[in-house]
Amino acid sequence: MNCHGLRLDFKASDHGTHVKTLTAVVLIFLILCFDGCRGRGAEGVKAVETREVTDDLGRKVSLPVKITRVVSLAPSLTENIFAVGAGDRLVGDTTYCNYPEEAKYVQKVGDTITPNLETIVALKPDVVFVSTASQLESFKNVLEQNHIAVYVTNPNSLDSVLSDLRTLGDLLGTLDRTSELLNEMQERLSGVSEGVQGEKPVLVFVQISKEPLFTIGKGSFLTELVGKAGGRSVTSDVTGGYPKLSKETALALNPEVIILSDSEDNREPNEVFRNSPAVKNGRVYRVNADLLSRPGPRLVDALEQIARDLHPEKF
Amino acid sequence: MPINARLSPRSSSRALRLGGLLLLLLLATLVVASFLGSEHLPVFDLNEQQRSIFYDIRLPRILLGACVGASLAVAGAGLQALLRNPLAEPYLLGVSNGAALGTMLAFVFFDRFDAARPLMAFGGAALASFAVYQMAKSRAGMNVERLVLSGVIATTFLSSIIVFLTTLLDAAKVRSFTFWLLGDLSQATKNGFYISLAAVTIATLVLTWQARALNLMMVGERDALDFGVEVNRVRWIVFGSASLVVGAAVAASGSVGYVGLIVPHIVRMSAGSDNRFVIPFSAIAGAIFVVFADTIARTLIAPRELPVGAVTALVGAPMFIYLLKKQ
Repeated sequence: MNCHGLRLDFKASDHGTHVKTLTAVVLIFLILCFDGCRGRGAEGVKAVETREVTDDLGRKVSLPVKITRVVSLAPSLTENIFAVGAGDRLVGDTTYCNYPEEAKYVQKVGDTITPNLETIVALKPDVVFVSTASQLESFKNVLEQNHIAVYVTNPNSLDSVLSDLRTLGDLLGTLDRTSELLNEMQERLSGVSEGVQGEKPVLVFVQISKEPLFTIGKGSFLTELVGKAGGRSVTSDVTGGYPKLSKETALALNPEVIILSDSEDNREPNEVFRNSPAVKNGRVYRVNADLLSRPGPRLVDALEQIARDLHPEKF
Repeated sequence: MPINARLSPRSSSRALRLGGLLLLLLLATLVVASFLGSEHLPVFDLNEQQRSIFYDIRLPRILLGACVGASLAVAGAGLQALLRNPLAEPYLLGVSNGAALGTMLAFVFFDRFDAARPLMAFGGAALASFAVYQMAKSRAGMNVERLVLSGVIATTFLSSIIVFLTTLLDAAKVRSFTFWLLGDLSQATKNGFYISLAAVTIATLVLTWQARALNLMMVGERDALDFGVEVNRVRWIVFGSASLVVGAAVAASGSVGYVGLIVPHIVRMSAGSDNRFVIPFSAIAGAIFVVFADTIARTLIAPRELPVGAVTALVGAPMFIYLLKKQ
């Protein structure tokens, strides 16, 4: 914190009529500065030990070794922070963060797309975790000017969910709790892969939105998830993460199972599937949309549920 | 806008030839569009699934696209003539945003009822038109500048309400709604097509019937009054017809931009400014334009899709600039 108000004071004295106003402004500025310096505390500024880490975008980020205050700007990151046992240090999250229950009572800093920068700065976090590169540009500068580190973590596969959880545990100093979590997740993952081993993959269509028809594509971690659950996504060749699909193509896909990302306007399959094997045989299943959209520990819950739906005789 | 309301027999026979040409072009566009799509269909001997793809998905969408294009272009042609302003179109005058807000409210509150969207879209468009009309009226009467200004104010005001309501929607609905706002024909149904077809047929006939009055009003409202044109009545008829078609189009496909602005201009460049031709020809040319744009939207990155509104703007702007420079 630099209190450069003093210099302004000298310059101001040359001009006759503006002196009063300027002096007032400068005084207020000085008071604010000193207040700021005091608030930060003598040991707070100089004694912080930092280390340099690289985030998922390959950016070098300097973080305190001991992180005590954290803000999360994505529901998946909030879940991850709680899962690695650092939920008590979460001082701010978004209005979308609804899991675990405690996350609802953390101070809200806005939603993922439009967080309130003033609220974030006022919370004095050591680091803000964000999930997308697009978020970064808009507020990185403001936060960094306020000595708040910005760390991007955006896992896009089951493996990177696991490795990002480990990194998070490392950054937050909760490696013991994290190892436990990862072991448990690994165990459940192998449970599923043993169960579906040797089974013929079931053709699955994942419907993200009914109208307009959105599904999952090559770039989504759900395509991998469906594969691990003993299925094959019929849209795995489509480019992009969550493409809007042509209905003509959709009608010709003939999926054996349809999985609906459960939300108010996605409760049943699109009209075009009415003659598909999935609808004719009643093999349409709903999976909680939060489980499907958040790359975090609960992805294993989604995996287990989908595996059960695809191969009911095996689980 | 060039004012050229003189009519010689020669120019009208030329215009009729142009109309025939446009109809042929529309037919050709519809046929070609029917052959193109993300699925390759054989010309004969379609199996059950292929027939379903063609009759339940592709054909209704192409026909709805034609109706939407005709609707927006005919509304634009009518409003441009009425306001003697080349920028006049449903978007500028708040009519489109009124329809969009109506549809959005139907989308949020009455999602179960299929009829809610077109009805509330028409209601929104009509209310917006009425409000704009009332705002534009002053003790000294109404002038075109006030009307355009009121339209711009209504448009921005209504968009801010739409943006505000969007922030209150949950994330899943925001995605479908934003896509729809960009103009999207993928939700075409046969019923949507019938509603649009009825609306655009009525509006085109009504506006063509008012074409003589509009021709006189283009010269000047004073002169039109002297010739016995009931200026206020014509205004109501034009705004009413525009609300009807824009409501139907927006409910079916969201906000497809650019059509109402550029199509009537392009028609005027080749057919002159006689509204008896400009209005029906705009309907045909608008249909061609949107079917063409939607064919690109359906096939360019198949099996994914683009919003048709993005294509109309992308194709429309350069095409318009080219024609303007060439003229």
